[in-house]
Amino acid sequence: MNGIELREIVESIVRSRFKLPMVTGMVEKSEAEGGCGVIGVACTVPIEGKYLLQSLVQMKNRGNGKGGGIAAVGLVPEQLGVTRQVLDDDYLIQVAYLESRVRDEVENEFLNSNFIVDHSSRIETVSDYQSIQGLEVQPPVVYRYFCRVRPGILEEFVHANKLDGMERSAAEDEFIYQTSYRLNHRYYSSLGEKKAFVLSHGKDMLVLKLVGYGDDVVRYYKLEDFKANIWIGHHRYPTKGRVWHPGGAHPFIGMHEALVHNGDFANYHSIVEYLAQRGIRPLFLTDTEVSVLLFDLWSRVYHYPLEYLVEAMAPTTERDFHMLPVEKQRLYGLVQAMHIHGSPDGPWFFIVAKNDPRTGEKQLLGITDTSMLRPQVFAIQDGPVKVGVIASERQAINAMLRRLAEDGKVPARFADVYWNARGGSYTDGGTFVFTLKDADAGVKRLECTDKFGREVVVPSGQYHQSVSSQSSLSLSASVASQLQSLEQMHADRSSLFQYLGPLLRSGGFDYVVGLVEELEKLGSRGQGSFWFAVEALTMLYDRIYDSGEKRRASLLQVYDDALTRMFSSIPLLDGDHAREFVRLDWASRKRLLPPLKVDNLLAVDALDFPVEGSESMARYLVECYQKGWRRLVAFNLRGHRFIANGLGPGTSGLRLDCFGDVGDYVGSGIDGAEVNVHGAAQDQVAQIMKSGKLVVHGDVGQAFMYAAKGGDVYVLGNAAGRPLINAVGRPRVVINGTCLDYLAESFMAGDPYNGGGFVVVNGLRPTHDGRFVEQASPYPGGNLFSLASGGALYIRDPHGLLSSDQLNGGRLAEFTERDWGLVRPYLEENERLFGVGIERDLLTVGGVVLSPSKVYRKVEPVVLQELA
Amino acid sequence: MINNQAGINEKHSERIHHGLDILPSLKYGIPGGLGNKRWTGELLLATYLQASTGQPPSNGLEYRIGDSGGGFDVLSWRKPGDMPRLATEEVDLGIPLNNRAVGAKLSIPFPFYGGGMSFGSISLNFMIARARAAEKLGTYMSTGEGGYPEQLVPYKDHIITQVATGMFGVREETMQYAPILEFKYAQGAKPGLGGHLLADKVTSEVARMRESSMFTSLYSPFPFHSVYSVEDHKKHVDWIKTVNPRALVSVKVSTPTDVDMVAIGSYYAGANIIHIDGGYGGTGAAPEIAKKNIAMPIEYAIPKVHRYLVSEGVRDEIVLMASGGIRTADDIAKAIALGADGCVVATAEAVAVGCTHCGNCERGRGCQVGITRG
Repeated sequence: MNGIELREIVESIVRSRFKLPMVTGMVEKSEAEGGCGVIGVACTVPIEGKYLLQSLVQMKNRGNGKGGGIAAVGLVPEQLGVTRQVLDDDYLIQVAYLESRVRDEVENEFLNSNFIVDHSSRIETVSDYQSIQGLEVQPPVVYRYFCRVRPGILEEFVHANKLDGMERSAAEDEFIYQTSYRLNHRYYSSLGEKKAFVLSHGKDMLVLKLVGYGDDVVRYYKLEDFKANIWIGHHRYPTKGRVWHPGGAHPFIGMHEALVHNGDFANYHSIVEYLAQRGIRPLFLTDTEVSVLLFDLWSRVYHYPLEYLVEAMAPTTERDFHMLPVEKQRLYGLVQAMHIHGSPDGPWFFIVAKNDPRTGEKQLLGITDTSMLRPQVFAIQDGPVKVGVIASERQAINAMLRRLAEDGKVPARFADVYWNARGGSYTDGGTFVFTLKDADAGVKRLECTDKFGREVVVPSGQYHQSVSSQSSLSLSASVASQLQSLEQMHADRSSLFQYLGPLLRSGGFDYVVGLVEELEKLGSRGQGSFWFAVEALTMLYDRIYDSGEKRRASLLQVYDDALTRMFSSIPLLDGDHAREFVRLDWASRKRLLPPLKVDNLLAVDALDFPVEGSESMARYLVECYQKGWRRLVAFNLRGHRFIANGLGPGTSGLRLDCFGDVGDYVGSGIDGAEVNVHGAAQDQVAQIMKSGKLVVHGDVGQAFMYAAKGGDVYVLGNAAGRPLINAVGRPRVVINGTCLDYLAESFMAGDPYNGGGFVVVNGLRPTHDGRFVEQASPYPGGNLFSLASGGALYIRDPHGLLSSDQLNGGRLAEFTERDWGLVRPYLEENERLFGVGIERDLLTVGGVVLSPSKVYRKVEPVVLQELA
Repeated sequence: MINNQAGINEKHSERIHHGLDILPSLKYGIPGGLGNKRWTGELLLATYLQASTGQPPSNGLEYRIGDSGGGFDVLSWRKPGDMPRLATEEVDLGIPLNNRAVGAKLSIPFPFYGGGMSFGSISLNFMIARARAAEKLGTYMSTGEGGYPEQLVPYKDHIITQVATGMFGVREETMQYAPILEFKYAQGAKPGLGGHLLADKVTSEVARMRESSMFTSLYSPFPFHSVYSVEDHKKHVDWIKTVNPRALVSVKVSTPTDVDMVAIGSYYAGANIIHIDGGYGGTGAAPEIAKKNIAMPIEYAIPKVHRYLVSEGVRDEIVLMASGGIRTADDIAKAIALGADGCVVATAEAVAVGCTHCGNCERGRGCQVGITRG
């Protein structure tokens, strides 16, 4: 098909759509919605719907129970009662009946007359929807039909609409699409009464949704054991309208794809007009519906490759545009000129599940808006099966992997890599696609690529701990005795690590398990030894080192399991014993008493505590602090929000260590306390922090340290978008990775030489063999230090990659001895905490140790005439 | 009128030496050049007089409306024929500030409290005066976003801590003082513009209060960088409630055309008070181009939000406060008749202590009566 033929076909399709019945009256967005909880997973083997449950449960606070839905792509024919051939070739049409009596009419008028129905069935549900707690509205009755368009009907359609140049399969797609539109128009939108609508009509995929939460869908339609290669799940947060209908819930469908969305557009009307000019009219009147209509238009009708489609959705702008190769600039310029009015403006993040019936490829996509205004995390675990996950929060990814690991479906509950997309960027285009392809012998292969087709590679040559391997070798007596003598010597972290590091590289998993058992055994000998063992295990969990052929994700699990066992073995607080270590959990929370001695340690098991609210883990920790506890451990965290918030002023002397997955806002507002996050943190970390110390052994998410006033903060990994905005006072921050965009906008942290604040960005990433290497750019974004009026940035940039066009108000300045004197103590602490060596990792460039002034660059504020 | 030289001299002498204490007597008529169409000279004098005496003027000074030719100045009252006149003791002007089943049952004895004016934009003396008045009257006043001076702590039970986009001076300590926490998403006088305090005004005191450094410019962004959706907003409210579980939450927003959507979103996020700020308010510091030109007039916004909340079935659970050009008791009554529970006033409080609405707050010459900071 050449360009002219394609153009003719596109015009014929658009013309044919103008014949469809129209909705009269003004098209207004019927429902406003904002944030939502989204998750998507793609796996090389089909996995059951139950694995969505825990992630969705842990993100319930992102929805309000007014809409939930799922989509599944890549199904198993046997569980649908059809053959592989029918599943591959037939359209799987799912119709939701809100009024059962219209079913005969729908089947006769829309289905049987147009389609050969190879198989139909009513979807099984639990018998009483009220048995699902919180489900207040009767979900629709859903029928599933496997159909092909009757050949005569198809020919008539092709002829009437001059679609002869079109491939028959494409024409059949269009016929299905238009038939669903007619059905929805008749039974859902136009009569004002909602009687029936098409949930999905693509091949080898299905959608289910209801008024409730996403996990309610799995339970109500009994999908716990239903298998698919790709799943997406969604909680909705609509606020307008007193009556909600399942038709407004996500996912929405195009042709062979389903889309869920987190966000809200500012230009809904502009998009509706853009679509109307192309013969497309929305019927459900939500942002999400028009998004998937755009997706379908650009991909199926216009035949745009994904790269152009993403460019039309999330245009590359500002400096990122200029960083593109000239040829791409020309191309993208055309795409933008053509489609900017249809480009969703505002905060949004899409997850799309898609089938391509021509190639058999199944895809899971995550696309973020140009300004990255919604949270998003991507992850891969590459083991015996390969899993790709996309979600609003990292803790939701871990929740899913945890359930998979518990059932032995995957070897570890941590992913091998986690990352954020940079929206509308020249670096990754803000988009990642997981593609499932058929490899040999019915096995599928999973590939992850960005907008430009560049693959995300998980390092090869390393392996997870095999799911079945449980046996442990006994260690050589010398290791055990060495550990004991280190303990007796009260060895500091670095000497302990120096001893253990090399052992961990060469030993197998069995060896590591043995070592961990030895440490646990040592820990059980007495209270002094206990803390030694905890610290040793914590260090193994936190630190980056060469793990040989062992995947870090599996090792983390070994250490995490051991730490959880150790904390769980601490006796419950009962007031009778003068114990140095005590424990409380949800069931025993009322037993809280003051500590007998100020340095006693209280470990709180977060597992059953609510993630927010008046009885939350965060509030309980405040209570513990108020009772006098100054050494706290929170373990088994599962996305618990606001940890270390609410402690109030003057909390120095308190130390809190967090294990598990901390939720949003960790460390916000701390004023004196020391908080250690073992693992990564999420969004809004250390907002308005006043003083004290926060250490994050991993990445931090969006809006890190927003409006902070001070504090010493150390981050092992990256910060996502908009870190340190509006920070004042004296925050002193070391970020060993990079930041996506808007670093230190409106930074107002005074004069760093005289008590003001600064941020050090090292731009490094840890490798699987335990080194810290330079990232492609120390800071890839624009809007660096925009409108900043105080403070300084120190960026490790030995190759001079940072350029003044990334700045917006600041200027690059010489890094002096005085600057080095200022940051050095912080880098020394950074080395102690994370093992990022000042000389080995920071000052060594290409094998040569350089002076700090050759390695670091300073960004300082300038007085802007227009603002002075 | 006085037209001899001695009379003119006397008039000027009286004005210079006694100013607002003598002018409302109208001994010298309404001073030319005082006030503007919204805050007419008469209204300024009448407001000052009422603040001094606690009574409406007896000399015919107009104390109810201005002369803007629109808004509350053209809305008038019609009494339904069958409406009985109540005895004074039967009238209760008090309103609750929490209509939800849970949380502190705060109320105020008349339907207004003081709006946010920040340290740095107004003087400490004026701030303390407002706090004292709020305490005496049993109502509240908001800190604005410039921090929480320690001199206010004795009045903390009557002080609303504002959490604005710049979060200057917002610490857990100041959040924990407050019976009510106010999220300021936008100001009706300048929606979508954020704020900017010039380097020259960031004196050592202002810098200390805002925890910034002296003589560096300070910005309040628009919007909250951690809130880009209703779900983020809910999380933000949950955060506030974690820090101070006993506080009520007020959400202050400007009045865009979809202000009703914003209101319902705030309701679902758990707010107790939705505070809508129309375009007539603001101090001399808001840019001229923004004032009255961006936000919807408050008299349109109130019924829009009120009716919408009624139609959504949640009106009874949320308190609707209106601000942005509320000058007089009559304005408050009209706002309530349009659907608000009560109003938030700020400029009127400045007038009560002698502000003449000269509009020179930002010229750098200082305020002649020491209300704002020059």
